Amino acid sequence: MTRELLPTATPARTRAAVLQAVRPHRRTAVAGFGLLIVATSVGLLIQPLLGHIVDLVAGREQAAALAVPAALLVLVGLVQGALTAWGLTLVARLGETALADLRERFVERVLALPLDRAERAGSGDLTSRVTGDVARVAEAVRSALPALARSLLSIVLTLGALALLDWRFLVAALLAVPVQVHTARWYVRNAVPLYAAQRVATGEQQQQLLDTIAGASTVRAFRAEREHLERVAGRSRAAVELTMRGVRLMLRFYSRLHVAEYAGLAAVLAVGVLLVRDGSATIGTATAAALYFHNLFGPINTALALLDDAQAATASLARVVGVADAAPADAAPAIRQQEGGGVSVRGLAHAYEPGDPVLHGVDLDIRPGERVALVGASGAGKTTLAKLVAGVHEPTAGTVETPPGVAMVTQEVHVFAGPLADDLRLARPDATDDELRAALATVDALAWAEELPDGLATVVGEGGHRLTGAQRQQLALARLVLADPAVAVLDEATAEAGSVGARLLERAVERAVDGRTALIVAHRLTQAAAADSVVVMEDGRVVERGSHADLRAAGGRYAAHWSAWTDHRQDV
Amino acid sequence: MHTGRDVLLRTVASQWRRLAGGSLLGAGHQAGEALVPVLIGVAIDQAVAGGDWGRLLLWLAVLAAVYVGLSFSYRFGARAGERAAEEAAHELRTAVVARVLHPGGGAEDRLPGALTGIATEDVRRVGAVLMAALAAVAGLTGLVVAGVLLLNTSVQLGLIVLAGTPALLWLGHLLGKPLERRSAVEQEHAARASGMAADLVTGLRVLKGIGAERAAVERYRRTSRDSLAATLRAARAEALQNGVVLALTGAFIALIALAGGYFATTGDITLGQLVSAVGLALFLQGPLQLFAWVNAEFAQARASAARVAALLSAPPAVPAGDREPPGDVAGALRLRSVTYGRLRDLDLDIAPGELVGVAATDPAAAASLVRCLGRQADPETGTVELDGVPLRDLDPGRLREAVLVAEHEAVLFEGTVTSNVTSDAGHAPGAAVAEALEAAGAGDIPPGTPVSERGGSLSGGQRQRVALARALAVARPVLVLHDPTTAVDAVTETRIADGISRLRRDRTTVLVTTSPALLAVADRVLLLHEGRVADEAPHSDLLRRNPGYRAAVLA
Repeated sequence: MTRELLPTATPARTRAAVLQAVRPHRRTAVAGFGLLIVATSVGLLIQPLLGHIVDLVAGREQAAALAVPAALLVLVGLVQGALTAWGLTLVARLGETALADLRERFVERVLALPLDRAERAGSGDLTSRVTGDVARVAEAVRSALPALARSLLSIVLTLGALALLDWRFLVAALLAVPVQVHTARWYVRNAVPLYAAQRVATGEQQQQLLDTIAGASTVRAFRAEREHLERVAGRSRAAVELTMRGVRLMLRFYSRLHVAEYAGLAAVLAVGVLLVRDGSATIGTATAAALYFHNLFGPINTALALLDDAQAATASLARVVGVADAAPADAAPAIRQQEGGGVSVRGLAHAYEPGDPVLHGVDLDIRPGERVALVGASGAGKTTLAKLVAGVHEPTAGTVETPPGVAMVTQEVHVFAGPLADDLRLARPDATDDELRAALATVDALAWAEELPDGLATVVGEGGHRLTGAQRQQLALARLVLADPAVAVLDEATAEAGSVGARLLERAVERAVDGRTALIVAHRLTQAAAADSVVVMEDGRVVERGSHADLRAAGGRYAAHWSAWTDHRQDV
Repeated sequence: MHTGRDVLLRTVASQWRRLAGGSLLGAGHQAGEALVPVLIGVAIDQAVAGGDWGRLLLWLAVLAAVYVGLSFSYRFGARAGERAAEEAAHELRTAVVARVLHPGGGAEDRLPGALTGIATEDVRRVGAVLMAALAAVAGLTGLVVAGVLLLNTSVQLGLIVLAGTPALLWLGHLLGKPLERRSAVEQEHAARASGMAADLVTGLRVLKGIGAERAAVERYRRTSRDSLAATLRAARAEALQNGVVLALTGAFIALIALAGGYFATTGDITLGQLVSAVGLALFLQGPLQLFAWVNAEFAQARASAARVAALLSAPPAVPAGDREPPGDVAGALRLRSVTYGRLRDLDLDIAPGELVGVAATDPAAAASLVRCLGRQADPETGTVELDGVPLRDLDPGRLREAVLVAEHEAVLFEGTVTSNVTSDAGHAPGAAVAEALEAAGAGDIPPGTPVSERGGSLSGGQRQRVALARALAVARPVLVLHDPTTAVDAVTETRIADGISRLRRDRTTVLVTTSPALLAVADRVLLLHEGRVADEAPHSDLLRRNPGYRAAVLA
């Protein structure tokens, strides 16, 4: 299967999505940013007040005259603090609410993705978007957005204040701007590909660590410790060097900003000399201007440094929006719904790669309530047929008709993090405790489930109580019972256990599918023998169909399978 | 390395050159930053106030020199610090993985996800301590330089600023503390939304399989809204804290301006010194806020270092012995009164070159036996011997060069089928790979087929057959296979049984399984019941005479 990553939104689409997310909260946005503007403006009174104090001193005023500007300074601090707190609260509400809307839509769309689309993208792509990208956007909303908003407001309003002092101070301060703009553009140009490479390297390192650590026992058994250690060290080294390249780039960026700072400061001081000489400004005004400019360093550096986070967050946002925008799954058109509870497959063909078909013209009918076992060698196309019936893939040709509600259980089991009862209720949200117990009892899992430390309330899954492979599989079957579908498709649902465990699971499977139309991919032919009907596949075709007894007697493929299965099982 | 403290000290020791150089440069940077407001004050005093161009040029030149110095100090100091942090993390990461892979085992009572977390996040935090230490030295220097400059200007004003700044920060901290605590709790709550999203996406197939998408989305929405409420509470607390700090800073500046203005009117300080003092008071917030950050970094690093230390000093599951395995391993296995897990006083002999089946009525007993043979654990009592040497006396790594135990849960690695089968690099040339794949019934899988992480791109049956081929390809003198064909169809299984007996001719092979197809090719089958050997004979004889065996292997 070729990898086909999930879509990434275009910059225009990402912007539109942000606006769309913010639109319902317009009032909060206006109020929040309005308050921050007022707060910052009030804060800018500090420097003129300090300048006024300087003028009072220069004018040889009495010390008592200082009380008024000092009191005003205290007042400015109080008002600025209160308004900032209020404004930041509103901006956070805006950002966080929009973010929550976005992540919910994202999860909804991910869960609605056609399974084969998700599989083509690879689990890594989805997981990294869910964890890495959503977290990065959240982090940006939480810390970068308020800081960026305050910095930008500070910069703009400070420049305005400089102009109010004297327009020539503004001109001097703006001397730094070309250097800063150039630096920022240079930085973004270099940083974007570098950070992309860095993310890839970090992802590869993470992947290698998981691979090696999860397989530690196998690594030891094969004495491949050194090789794996070298692989980990190699990936880690690559990530370190890329990180250092990023660090060097950022430090060069700051060096250039220092140049801009100096140029602007020198110009403001020179204008101060000029204006004081010709009497158009007092020393206090010049002091205020120099202090304004010195106070700009912080917000400018903050804003430019946040370019980094903004850059990363924008890339992440595009990946999140890309999925959130992805068209929801169309009801697979090739699957027609059928009244009654049977399954009808006509002329079904499928190829994962064009030109490499794995199924050819399969016809199959399953009567309502019939239990059909699918038998054949590995690679015969059993799993593909099962997936097509379950609607996982869209067939290349042919039709599948099923009643609504086809459930599929494979040997891949996942236990959802949280209480065991919550895991089960995913299959039927309104199930009572008694119904949960009944479902567990049906698959012989009630005894161990009640013996768990907190019974059904025991936290299982990632970070919780660890279940064995067979227990996980029983849990999957219990979910099937609760979901109560008309048609159940089971693919190798007993393969993870050894023979003794497999027999236990076989019993559980039999009870779980009781009363349902069932298609069971069976490696263990006991399952075939117990089925109502057996379908034998070979090279992507159905080659035999009939009851276990008839097919055994017919002496064909199934009889050969059966004799291989029973060969060593019979008393000689 | 026993404690987190040791880990931190060793981290510092291993990078002390970079740390020392970086700290020196960082100190230079902070000193330069402290000088900037002073120079602004001097320039206003001497050049602006008098409208003197010559003086202006002079002080601008001095300012330029200071800028060059602080800029380069920052650039190279921070670079040294970041490099130190990254190198330290890299070294620790390698050490952590080496510990996990140590032949003695004993690190894997933690989940793979948790171990990976230690090898990434925790080692990064420990490394970051170097950058924090560097910042602490630099910040302290800034503080001292600013203090000296202020005291030089006016002792009273200097004392006001030097005493007032920490008091101000302490006050801010005190007022902010309850908010901070609340915020930490809320943040933790907020993190649940992302954890749950990842969990649901990982279980996507399962959700789709039973049509639980709607229920999952509903559940996620509830968690997301809870998280949102928590985050908003946290954000409000943080915003309040911000506001408090701003108000306090305003009051402090007013105090300095008032005091400085007073001293200036009485002629104790010049106009320029007043400007410098105000500038320095504002500057001082920088280093002091830096200390708050350093403090937080150290707290995090301590917790991370403790986790790293606990892992690095985890005792091995089995101790290393000091005897060498026999140079030419004949492959005789002997168990004497072994009690471990579900094994009770087990005696068992396997001759060199024998192909032996072990069928257990209890899967847990089979697992216990497999763990003892691979020396993942030592028996509680009794001995396991290879060619007469107790396994306890051998280094577990060296033992595995003679004995391969292929576990049922064997993992495939990212790469290709070939790269997996030749996992023991250099030991299996091309022909052997093809032969092993053929014997494992995997001849139909092209050797170049890509394998994704943990074999996810292969079907269950393919995974199992490739893993078996890998076990056959390394051709160890002794091979123990645990349930190698549970996901394989009956026809293929029979072929595999023949392949195993062909490829392992004259080399000791133990098949721990209840699969009749495999047991049928064994020279001899042992029935393991209630922890000991209950019967032994060829498969067909056991089938005929032992009802317990029949029950165990026949389905």
